[in-house]
Amino acid sequence: MTVGPLTVTDLVVEFVHDGYAIRPLDNLSFQAQAGELVVLLGPSGCGKTTLLSCVGGILTPTSGTIRLGPTDVTGLKGADLDAYRREEIGFVFQAFNLIPSLTARENIAVPLILTGHGRKESFARADELLEQVGLSERSGHLPSRLSGGQMQRVAVARGLGHNPLLLLADEPTANLDHIQAEAIIRLLQGLRDDGRMIVVSTHDSRLVPIADRIVQMVPPDQHEERPTHDITFSAGESIFEQGDPADLVYVIKSGNVDVIRVLADGGEELLTKLGADQYFGELGPFLGFPRSASVRAVSDVVLTAYSPRVFREKVLHKT
Amino acid sequence: MLLLTFRDLVYRKTRFIVVTVLGAVVFALLFVMTGLVNQFNLEPAETVEQFDADQWVLPEGVSAPFTSVSLMPAATLDAVDAATKSPVVITRSSVSDGGTPEEVVLVGFEPGGLGAPKVVEGRVPEAEGEVAVGRTLDVDVGADITVAGEPFTVVGLTDKTTVLAGIPFAYLTLPEAQILAFTSTDVISSVLVSGELGALPAGLTSLSSDEVIDQTLQPLEGAIASIDLVRALLWIVAAIIVGAVVYLSALDRQRDFAVLKAVGASNTSLLGSLALQAVLIALGAVALAAVIQVFLAPQFPLPVTVPTSAFWQLPLLAVVMALAAGAIGMRKVLRSDPSQAFAGAGT
Repeated sequence: MTVGPLTVTDLVVEFVHDGYAIRPLDNLSFQAQAGELVVLLGPSGCGKTTLLSCVGGILTPTSGTIRLGPTDVTGLKGADLDAYRREEIGFVFQAFNLIPSLTARENIAVPLILTGHGRKESFARADELLEQVGLSERSGHLPSRLSGGQMQRVAVARGLGHNPLLLLADEPTANLDHIQAEAIIRLLQGLRDDGRMIVVSTHDSRLVPIADRIVQMVPPDQHEERPTHDITFSAGESIFEQGDPADLVYVIKSGNVDVIRVLADGGEELLTKLGADQYFGELGPFLGFPRSASVRAVSDVVLTAYSPRVFREKVLHKT
Repeated sequence: MLLLTFRDLVYRKTRFIVVTVLGAVVFALLFVMTGLVNQFNLEPAETVEQFDADQWVLPEGVSAPFTSVSLMPAATLDAVDAATKSPVVITRSSVSDGGTPEEVVLVGFEPGGLGAPKVVEGRVPEAEGEVAVGRTLDVDVGADITVAGEPFTVVGLTDKTTVLAGIPFAYLTLPEAQILAFTSTDVISSVLVSGELGALPAGLTSLSSDEVIDQTLQPLEGAIASIDLVRALLWIVAAIIVGAVVYLSALDRQRDFAVLKAVGASNTSLLGSLALQAVLIALGAVALAAVIQVFLAPQFPLPVTVPTSAFWQLPLLAVVMALAAGAIGMRKVLRSDPSQAFAGAGT
């Protein structure tokens, strides 16, 4: 089994939600090789699942390219895209997403049957995979009669049904206790050792030690503590833009600013006007989210910039 | 596809059983309504056929023998130019076997002539005080009853002799019927003719048997139209029931469909699964309805004759209806986004 490198270049995904543009992926680039277990690491909301959806060909990015070996995934359309998903990619969805009316064995076989494989062949493959994930004795059980770990193993087996080159797993250890998580991690390791490329999205650091490559979805040093300092902006100057990484909280010493939301159509919506002694930009650094609005100086302004920790101690708790 | 469909039916069996039973009740009513309309249409044809007449001679201005009062001199018989002809009396009367009097169509006939009853039990009345009645009056041969207040003995029973939604017939010999109806043997209602009919004298007209059938059915047209409307409404109710369950099923299975789409399953195979489910529910409901109507039909005060064709037409229509009603649910499948298989884009 060989698969060419996975190359993600300048990937941008932008959604429009309630009229506002949200950009969960902003110029992301990385490369992974065959036989590697790639961990996409980051908090909720950082775009891990969006990236998996793009690599899996079920979401079209706004811009950028994804190549798997010679295949330009972002250039595939219609039947070619269906064939790519059907033949080259295996999915392990978050929360297992097993079909509740089907037994473990049928959950593996039915997708194969629906994609044109023979019934007998599909069930034989399901039996083989159930044995591989150590669940042969549970093959006739409905998902409701399986533990979380067992359901996840069935989900992995389903993802392997057509023997894909690339396995995409979304939070495969979420909601599992350490024993069940360990079994899944061991299973993923074994699959990687078979020469398959595995891309796992997770915020579970237990997967980090076995990863061959880690893609940090949020820059790791962005919350590094910076000293409190004053900063000056001239009238009309941008203090930060919507979607920028959030690191500092600002208190206005003098002058006025506008807080503006940039709309999907390129227009702008004024959210509020702020003046001396008011602060802005605190939620992004606290929560690890990018900036949700732009801030622009209306007059010449002097701001005091705080790290989130210092802001919390010196400003929030003081007030 | 079959496996996916059947497993889901089993998994949500309570819902599907409830819906199938509800659908079956609606379809059973449809069977009965169809049977009623069929009976309304059959009834005059079966009855008129038993008179063995090709033409019915009536006074001009009389629309039909069973729906209008028809009187003509008995001597008119001689003026009718036909090889085979018989005078008859047809009028409304009532019979009673001691209980509440029941309305009947009283027919006076000449024994051996046209219009004589085709008895299925007993014999044809031949003498004074004898009557043959329709089975639906629920009296036995030998029973003593009154016709227009006069005592008679039932000597024969007829079948399929009703008009105007179940009014039964009572057959007497012609003179007795004339006396009971007109207190005179000089009056008759119509002359029945078999074969060629020559020119009629002024003041008389003739209707073919088919015209008599059509005219007899006319008073029921409003009732038939009403039943047809109820039938249309029942179809809508059935469509809503099947459509709602298919839509609910599509909603419940949206994530399943997204997962299957994500792994490459085609829309066609998933739609097929949902469509098959709709068809199976509809056919299951119709099959159950076919049994229910056997018990339901006798409870109706009017005769119900479900035509054999209904037993293949109704399932066929039910399948078409189920597919149409399930279209909204199926559209949900078409629109389900494979990215929903993940927890949700943007996370």
